[in-house]
Amino acid sequence: MKQRILIASALILGVLLVWLAFFWQPPATDTANRASNDTPGSHAPSLPPGGDFSLQGPQGPLSLADYRGRIVLVYFGYTFCPDVCPTALSAMGQAFSMLTPEEQAGVAGVFVSVDPERDTTDVLKAYAPFFHPQIVGVTGSVDDIARVARQYGVRYMKQKADDGKPYSVDHTSFTYVIDASGKLIAQLPHGSPPQAIIDMIRTLRK
Amino acid sequence: MRRVLIGLSLLLCATLPPTTYADDGIAVQDPYVRLVPPGAPTTGAFMVISNSSAADRKLIRAASPAAKTVELHTHLNENGVMKMRPVPDIEIKAGGRTELKPGSYHVMLIDMTKPLQEGDEVPIDLTFDDGSTQHIAAPVRRIQSAPAMPAAAHGGMKH
Ligand SMILES: [Cu+2]
Repeated sequence: MKQRILIASALILGVLLVWLAFFWQPPATDTANRASNDTPGSHAPSLPPGGDFSLQGPQGPLSLADYRGRIVLVYFGYTFCPDVCPTALSAMGQAFSMLTPEEQAGVAGVFVSVDPERDTTDVLKAYAPFFHPQIVGVTGSVDDIARVARQYGVRYMKQKADDGKPYSVDHTSFTYVIDASGKLIAQLPHGSPPQAIIDMIRTLRK
Repeated sequence: MRRVLIGLSLLLCATLPPTTYADDGIAVQDPYVRLVPPGAPTTGAFMVISNSSAADRKLIRAASPAAKTVELHTHLNENGVMKMRPVPDIEIKAGGRTELKPGSYHVMLIDMTKPLQEGDEVPIDLTFDDGSTQHIAAPVRRIQSAPAMPAAAHGGMKH
């Protein structure tokens, strides 16, 4: 009996070893690393038109045109977002804090909410600067947001939630780079590391 | 013949890394909760779960006093649209490991009972499909950009 168990375990272990040797693969590497291999700010074949917009900021109306002369990074997301938005905004904030003071004075970050129902200006006032003091959150009416999102090719869709549970919002996650003249220059893919953002900013400043 | 097999089995046993067979083979490494801005109602807990047992395991439930609702979630990237979806379970293959990490699987904390500060330890109970439970304490961390992080997950820290 004992020998049978031993034989069986030998066979099982043997099969397991063969399987491990031939089929086991270490978990795939982080997707963020893949994004970093892209050339920073590689121009998408068809960049959305972009352009000016006016929404509600922490101190009332805020227009993209207010930042003329500066490089502006625009990100669309929502504050209930536990992961995707904080990842993108952290990268933006980190990039800003790694710039020289002079470079810093020439940039701004704008976080546009795609969840205007919950993201009031007060909510955004507490949220956006957490990532960097130079990032402001803006919101507006459902129609205003839809129009700005269309300009920038942003797709988003509110999801149904179970009773009493907060809904989530599906959304694209690009960081839009606006040059000093207000022109949309590039859209950085999700997971772009701070260095890619810095490279983009420095290229534009030349 | 039998002797050869017995010898072989002993040899195989000797070459396997030492493992504690007493437990269920599940180990949770490097758990953490993302620090989110003041007022943000949700956050995610991340970790690496490894399974040294010979059977596939599934994480089927997470619970924590830190949030009113705790769910297992994943992210899908469909043509650039980031979609967060609840999942019924998260599988950890026999002898494998599953990473819960930003942009992928996470334990979603919804409606935190109190604001989380950097350094707080969030207690989380993880229940697996074999009925076993792991109690972990996940420190709240400010997450810097993703590429700087994954290396840390490969450490052998046991909790
Ligand atoms: Cu989630």
